[in-house]
Amino acid sequence: MNPAEIRFEGVTVRYGGVQRNAVTDISLEVSGGELVVLLGPSGCGKSTLLRTVNRLVPLQSGRVLVDGTDVAQLDPVELRRSVGYVIQAVGLFANMTVAQNVGVVPSLLAWTRADIDTRIDELLRLIGLDPATYRNRRPSALSGGEAQRIGVARAIAARPRALLMDEPFGAVDVVVRTALQRELIRIVSELRTTTLFVTHDVDEAFRLADRIVVMRDGHIEQAGAPFDVFQAPATAYVRQLVHAGDDVYLQYYMRTRELLRAT
Amino acid sequence: MISRGRALAFAATVPLLTRCVFDRSAVRVGSKNFTESFVIAEIYAQSLEATGMHVERLFNLGSTQIAIAAMRRGNIDLYPEYTGTALIDVLHLPPISNSHAAFEVVARAFKQRYDILWLAPSPMNDSQALATTRAVASQYGLATLSDCARAAPRLRLATIQEFLARPDGLPGLARYYGGFRFREVRTYDIALKYRALLEGAADVASAFSTDGAIATEELVVLRDDRHFWSAYNVAPVVRAQTLAARPKIATVLDAVSPRITDHVAQTMNAQVEHSQADPADVAAQFLKR
Amino acid sequence: MTYLTTHPWRVAALAGSHLELVTVALAVAFVVALPLGVLAARRPGLAPWLLGTLGAIYTIPSLALLAVFVEVFGLGFAPIFVALVVYAQFMLARSVAAGIAGIEHAQVDAARGLGMSAAQVLWRVEFPQALPVVIGGIRVAAIAMIAIATLGGYVGGVGLGVLIFNGLTLHQNAMIVAGSVAASALAIAVDAVLRLTERLLAD
Repeated sequence: MNPAEIRFEGVTVRYGGVQRNAVTDISLEVSGGELVVLLGPSGCGKSTLLRTVNRLVPLQSGRVLVDGTDVAQLDPVELRRSVGYVIQAVGLFANMTVAQNVGVVPSLLAWTRADIDTRIDELLRLIGLDPATYRNRRPSALSGGEAQRIGVARAIAARPRALLMDEPFGAVDVVVRTALQRELIRIVSELRTTTLFVTHDVDEAFRLADRIVVMRDGHIEQAGAPFDVFQAPATAYVRQLVHAGDDVYLQYYMRTRELLRAT
Repeated sequence: MISRGRALAFAATVPLLTRCVFDRSAVRVGSKNFTESFVIAEIYAQSLEATGMHVERLFNLGSTQIAIAAMRRGNIDLYPEYTGTALIDVLHLPPISNSHAAFEVVARAFKQRYDILWLAPSPMNDSQALATTRAVASQYGLATLSDCARAAPRLRLATIQEFLARPDGLPGLARYYGGFRFREVRTYDIALKYRALLEGAADVASAFSTDGAIATEELVVLRDDRHFWSAYNVAPVVRAQTLAARPKIATVLDAVSPRITDHVAQTMNAQVEHSQADPADVAAQFLKR
Repeated sequence: MTYLTTHPWRVAALAGSHLELVTVALAVAFVVALPLGVLAARRPGLAPWLLGTLGAIYTIPSLALLAVFVEVFGLGFAPIFVALVVYAQFMLARSVAAGIAGIEHAQVDAARGLGMSAAQVLWRVEFPQALPVVIGGIRVAAIAMIAIATLGGYVGGVGLGVLIFNGLTLHQNAMIVAGSVAASALAIAVDAVLRLTERLLAD
């Protein structure tokens, strides 16, 4: 599978009835297979930027290109079926079983029953859940961690070439979060899906990212590899955000990053 | 889930569709809002049903005006109407006491003005009347209205408010016959009027000639010897359109109408009013004879 | 009570036509109320106006509204049918709106984000979860309509109202009682059936 390239060109978004832009003139390139983390405080526009990719948010000006094609020229429903989407509250469909949830996009794409079933089992194993046990469970019978994992499985079920994740691990406790982070890294490296990940958690950004994009007030403060951002913060804000110059933090970030990638 | 929902939706529309189909083929029979109208309308309806027609009943229509309006709109196809009512209340013509003459006039007028046809009338004549007990009749020698007009100063009248107000009630009667200056005139509730007569509190009561009490209590109806009151023969009135589509309606009802006499009507009215019988049952009994 | 025992088939036939009237009107009313309820759920700003208007219509005395429809449609099945459809709107639209609005927003967001069309979101995610609330609304509407449909005996010669109004005209209490008791029994039965349906669906 060829991972998608995502490009933002001068993207500006303003929500109706509001004076300030949510994001202003953002340009950014995401290479195929990269895991890019959009990091910033609430209100900085990171979720907004994320949601311009699958057209859940309309643009005021600028373009978003997926593999060179302006998303505005694509049918939004079809676009969304080819791009995975995970949100913090997960939003598993309460009227469906785990299997039905996971198989949603394949069924929208009219895969054969057999293909869907195979894929569901495959995915459940991929996220570390026994298919026999979990297939027919209802979302209400899942723990927070299980639900999040299934949300991820649902998002990648139809083998999307890009994955959008909006603070997906924010609602679970630290222990579960670490486990989920490790799994995400494993999945993403196996599947080589281009991933855009939104978080306000600096730790999480350092653990997961191939590149970090620090955002504030709808602008990009800095974009770069985690280590580069730490060593050479572009602004005072970035410096205080990542505790630049503090060796303890450097050790901590590098160590946890290593641990999460250890097999 | 999807197919279940679709099945339910379809099932719900089936009765709607059948009703639409049904409505086309049903004959709608109406009635006005009093006992006799119910009974006669039931007789018409059941006679038609006996031949296999599907009949819908729209009974209890509030007044002649409503019934006529319903006919003209096509909400009902036929109902029992009285020649006198048609003459006086619908056509606003003076009363005609000769049955045949009254019928001719209303039949011609309704056909011309409303495209409504009158089928064969019944002998029963639900006209206004004065009634008395056999005892009182023999005591005062009362057989006709003229007798009563002369004897009135010695008699007490039990009546309803309407009789005193209508032009063809007591005022018109007195003007036409002369006399009729009763010793006492008392109004009662329509349900209690006959009780006064039977208990001896009154000597004469205003009545309709097909009232049930006349049969059950063996009352005497005084003959309208000078023909004051209009004929009130009942007949089916049908929309011309309906009859053209189903001429059998005329055949069926023309066979039934001649059997409805004053006495038959009195008996049936008594059964409904006094014995609390269902008009449908009473009509069914009549048709079985 | 005696009329019920002496004329069971007549009462049953009228109960049947009463039920048919209510069922058909309810089905049509639901088809009309569904998009109204969805609209109210999607546009929270519009909802108070929409539901408020329907609520106001609901407070119009049924006989008055019926008289208007008799003017328009004449006597028979049509005016009482339309009156029932109109009256049911408030309860049905409101329950559809409430049912949909009560669904976790994250599920709707996820559904859209994963690539369901608006219709698919409605059909696959929102309706199935709104169903218990909607059935509850249908139940309430059905009971109200069974009561209002007795007026069908006045203008349309249909339903158990025929017994009630005929009984009033003929001064036969037995008929009035029979019609009223049968209508109540019908309402109780329909309520029980729909409660059972609600419960089965909630599982």
